[in-house]
Amino acid sequence: MPMVLLECDKDIPERQQHIYLKVDGEDSRDYLPVSNASTIPGTLSERGCAFCGAKLVIGGVLKDTIQMIHGPIGCAYDTWHTKRYPTDNGHFNMKYVWSTDMKESHIVFGGEKRLEKSINEAFDEMPDVKRMFVYTTCPTALIGDDIKAVAKKVMSERPEVDIFTCECPGFAGVSQSKGHHVLNIGWINEKVGSLEPEITSDYTMNFIGDFNIQGDTQLLQTYWDKLGIQVIAHFTGNGTYDALRGMHRAQLNVVNCARSSGYIANELKKRYGIPRLDIDSWGFSYMAEGIRKICAFFGIEDRGEALIADEYEKWKGKLDWYKERLQGTKMAIWTGGPRLWHWTKSVEDDLGIQVVAMSSKFGHQEDFEKVIARGQSGTYYIDDGNELEFFEIIEKVKPDVIFTGPRVGELVKKLHIPYVNGHGYHNGPYMGFEGFVNLARDTYNAVHNPLLKLAGTDIRGTAPAAFKEAAE
Amino acid sequence: MGCEITSRDRAGIINPMYDCQPAGAQYAGIGMKDCIPLVHGGQGCTMFVRLLFAQHFKENFDIASTSLHEESAVFGGHARMQDGVMALVRRYPHLRIIQIITTCSTEVIGDDVEGSINVCNKMIKEEFPDREVYVVPVHTPSFKSSQVGGYSECVLSTFKTIAKKKAEPSGKLNLFPGWVNPGDVTLLKRYAAAMDVDASIFMDTEDFDSPMLPDKSIHTHGRTTVEDIRASSGAFASLALARYEGASTGEFLRDEFEVPHHLVSTPYGIANTDAMLRKISEITGKPIPESLVKERGIALDALQDLAHMFFADKRVAIFGHPDLVIGLSEFCIEVELKPVLLLLGDDNTKYKRDPRILALKDKVNWDMEVVCNADLWELEKRLKDPDYKLDLILGHSKGRYVAIDHKIPMARVGFPTFDRAGLYRQPTMGYQGAMLLGEAIANAMFAHMEYTHDREWILNTW
Repeated sequence: MPMVLLECDKDIPERQQHIYLKVDGEDSRDYLPVSNASTIPGTLSERGCAFCGAKLVIGGVLKDTIQMIHGPIGCAYDTWHTKRYPTDNGHFNMKYVWSTDMKESHIVFGGEKRLEKSINEAFDEMPDVKRMFVYTTCPTALIGDDIKAVAKKVMSERPEVDIFTCECPGFAGVSQSKGHHVLNIGWINEKVGSLEPEITSDYTMNFIGDFNIQGDTQLLQTYWDKLGIQVIAHFTGNGTYDALRGMHRAQLNVVNCARSSGYIANELKKRYGIPRLDIDSWGFSYMAEGIRKICAFFGIEDRGEALIADEYEKWKGKLDWYKERLQGTKMAIWTGGPRLWHWTKSVEDDLGIQVVAMSSKFGHQEDFEKVIARGQSGTYYIDDGNELEFFEIIEKVKPDVIFTGPRVGELVKKLHIPYVNGHGYHNGPYMGFEGFVNLARDTYNAVHNPLLKLAGTDIRGTAPAAFKEAAE
Repeated sequence: MGCEITSRDRAGIINPMYDCQPAGAQYAGIGMKDCIPLVHGGQGCTMFVRLLFAQHFKENFDIASTSLHEESAVFGGHARMQDGVMALVRRYPHLRIIQIITTCSTEVIGDDVEGSINVCNKMIKEEFPDREVYVVPVHTPSFKSSQVGGYSECVLSTFKTIAKKKAEPSGKLNLFPGWVNPGDVTLLKRYAAAMDVDASIFMDTEDFDSPMLPDKSIHTHGRTTVEDIRASSGAFASLALARYEGASTGEFLRDEFEVPHHLVSTPYGIANTDAMLRKISEITGKPIPESLVKERGIALDALQDLAHMFFADKRVAIFGHPDLVIGLSEFCIEVELKPVLLLLGDDNTKYKRDPRILALKDKVNWDMEVVCNADLWELEKRLKDPDYKLDLILGHSKGRYVAIDHKIPMARVGFPTFDRAGLYRQPTMGYQGAMLLGEAIANAMFAHMEYTHDREWILNTW
C-alpha cells in the first residue's frame, strides 16, 4: 500500500509522504513516513517549539532548580501550569516560573545586564535555592546575548550557586525534539562529572527519560528500592540538579523515553562506557520484561522474579477485569512520538485494545520504525498530523477513545469521542503495574461514559423504548 | 493612610500575571467567524496559547502558525507567511479573515508583513477570483505591552483592514466589552435587548461556550462577521467598556468615520453598571426598563446579606487585567470589602494616571497599594511577612498556589480560571455578575471557615 494522500491534503500533496497505512507483508523500509521534517506553514500542526522541548519537558521537571527564561514574558507564562509532574518537595517546579521580561530597549541595546540582574534577584528572593537553568528564547538568540558569559560571571560572584545554560530558541529545529537534544548534549558536556555522587548500593543505575508524570517516577522508585538498586539520577522526574551531575558513576543507563533522552544515554556510553538498556515502562508484559533485563544485568534475577510475582499478585486480577471489558476497543494515539510504540502493543497484549491510528508530533525515523513494527496492519501511522487530517482519519477508523492532549480532547468531544490525556494522564501514574491498571480504568471509564450515548440522541426524534416504558 | 501607587522594582519576573502580546491578539482573532489567525513565529507561540484557551474554555480553537524554523530566522520568513496564508485559504474554503500576528522573533528579523500581504492578496485574487479574504497585519512583538495590549491591537488592526469606508447608517450601537467571558457577552446582549437597543458586540464570543450536538457539528468560534465589522462605521455610536481593551477601536471609528465614541467605567459592581446603563440610555434616548431595575434590586438584596456581616473590613488583594482589577476594586468598596493590594501586570505607564485609580486615591481611608508592572511574586512576597494580613484573593488561576500555600480564600475571576468548572459561562459584569461574584466570594470564605474551623458555627444559623 503506498503512502496515503488524504482528501483534505490535496492542496498540500507533500503530506502524502507523512501518512502510512500498514498492510500485511510490507516492509517498513519501503514505506516509512517522512518525519522530523520542516512543518508546512498554516496547516494547524500540533507541534511545539525547541524551547519548550528543553524547558517544559526536561529542565522544568527538576525539583530544586530555578528556571530562568531569558526573553519576553510569553515564553515563561506559556510553559507554566501545563504539565503534571509533581515532586516530593511540594511541587516547587510547578509553582514558579521566572522570566527576564525582555522589553524593546533590551532588544535594541542587548539583554545581558537584564539577565544578570534577574538571576541575582531570583537567588536573592529565594535564598534556599542554589541551582538554576537559564534558557535563551527566539529574540535573545537573534540579538546574540551571551548567556554563558553572564552565568559564568554570576557563578564567580556567588560561589555557592551553579547555573546551567541552554541555548535552544523556539525556531531551532522543526519541533520540540531539537530542544531535547540541545539540553541532553549541553548537560553532558558541561555538568556530568562535576560532582561525585554518594554510592550506597552495589547496584547503581540512572533512570533516563521519565518525567514523573502524575508520579510515574515515584511509583517505579518503589520497585528499585525493593530490588536494592540505587538510582543515582532520574533524568529528570522528581530529580535534582546535583544528582544529574553524578550520572557518570552509574553502572547502567536504563532508558524509557528514547526520543527525549536517548542522546544523553548514548553519550554516557561513549564517554564513560556505561551500557544503555532501553525498556518500556508502560504495560504489564513490558514492565516485567524491563525488570527482568535490569535484574539480569546486575545478576539479581531472583529479586526481580519475586517483585514481578508480587506485583502480578496485586494487580493482574484488576487488569484482567478491565481486559475482559475492553476487548476490541478501538484506540487512537495522538501524542509526541515514543508513546506510540510504547503503547500500541502493550494495550493490545495487556488489554485487548486495537490501536487504529497513531500520530506523532516530533518522532524521528527510528520511532516510526519501532511503531510500525509493533503496530497492527490496517492502522494509520502519521507524522505531524494536523486538524483536518484528524477529522478525516476519525471518519475512516472510528476510534472509541483517543489518547491525546486536552485541547484535541475538547475537539473530539464534539464528535462524541472521549479522550484520555495521553500527555499528563487523567488519573495516573500510568507506568508500572499499578499504573497500567490506572490506564485501563481511565480508558474503561472513558469508553463507558453514559453521556456519550445521550449526546447522540436527538430529542426531537422518537424516544427509545426503555424511556417510553418508564414514562408510562 | 491612603493609596500608594508604585511599580515592581525588580528587573525579572517571578510568576507573570499576563501572557505576551501575540497571545492577546490570538484571543481577539478567535472572536471572529470564518477566521483563523496565523501567528508568524515559532510554533510554541501558537501551540501553548491554544492550550491556554482550551484550559480556560474547555474548547478547541483554530489558530495556525507559520512554523518559523531556523532558515527563516536567518533568511526571513516571507515565504512561510505566504505559504501559510495560501494553505489556509485553500484548505478552509469558508475562510474570510486571516490575521497575521507577529511575534518577537519575526519583529526582530524585520519581516515585511504588509509586503507579504500584498503578495498574498494577489495570489488569492488569481486563484480564487470569487472569494474575498481579508489578510490583516497585526504587529504584536512580545517585547512590548502584554496580552492586554495585544488584544486591543488585533481588534484595531482588523477593523482598520475591514472597515474601509463609511457604511450606511445601521441603527446599531458598537459595543466593545474588552477581554471578557461568554457569560459577560450573553449578559450584555440581554441588557441591550432589554433596553431595545440593537448592539453589535465586538467580539461576540457567546459561542465560546458551545454544545455537543446530536449531529456532531462544531460551533466553537466567534460570531463577529466581516459584515458586522463593515457595518460598524455606520453605527450611531460606539461604547467601550474597557479602557485598555478595545477602546482604541472606538476612537478609530470616531476619527475615521465620525461615529461618536463613549468610554465608561468597566461595569463591574452596581454603580459602574448603573453608569453603563445610564450612558446607553443617554446615547439612545431609550429608558432603562423595569426588568433591569428589578435585577439590580435582586443583586442588592443578595449582596446586602453579605456586606456588613461577612465582608466588612476584610482585606483583599486583586490581580488580573487592569480594567478588571480597577472595576473589581470599586465593586469591593461597594460591598464593604477593603482592597489593600491591586496588581496590574505590564509596563503601560497610563495605569498610574487612570482616572479611576486617581479617584480611588481620593476615596480610600485605609492603606492601599497599587503595584504597576507587577508579577505574582509581589503578592507572595508580602504574604511571607507574618504581619501582613490578607483575608481574600481575587484573581485568575495562575495565582492559585499563593492562595493554597498561604491558606487564603480565593475567588477565581478573570482569565484564565482553569482550576474551577464553568466560570466562563457566568457573567462578572452587570448586576447579575456582581451578585454572582459576591456570592462566590462568600462561599469561598464559608468553605475556608469550615476547613480551618474558624467560627464555622456562625453559619449554623445564617
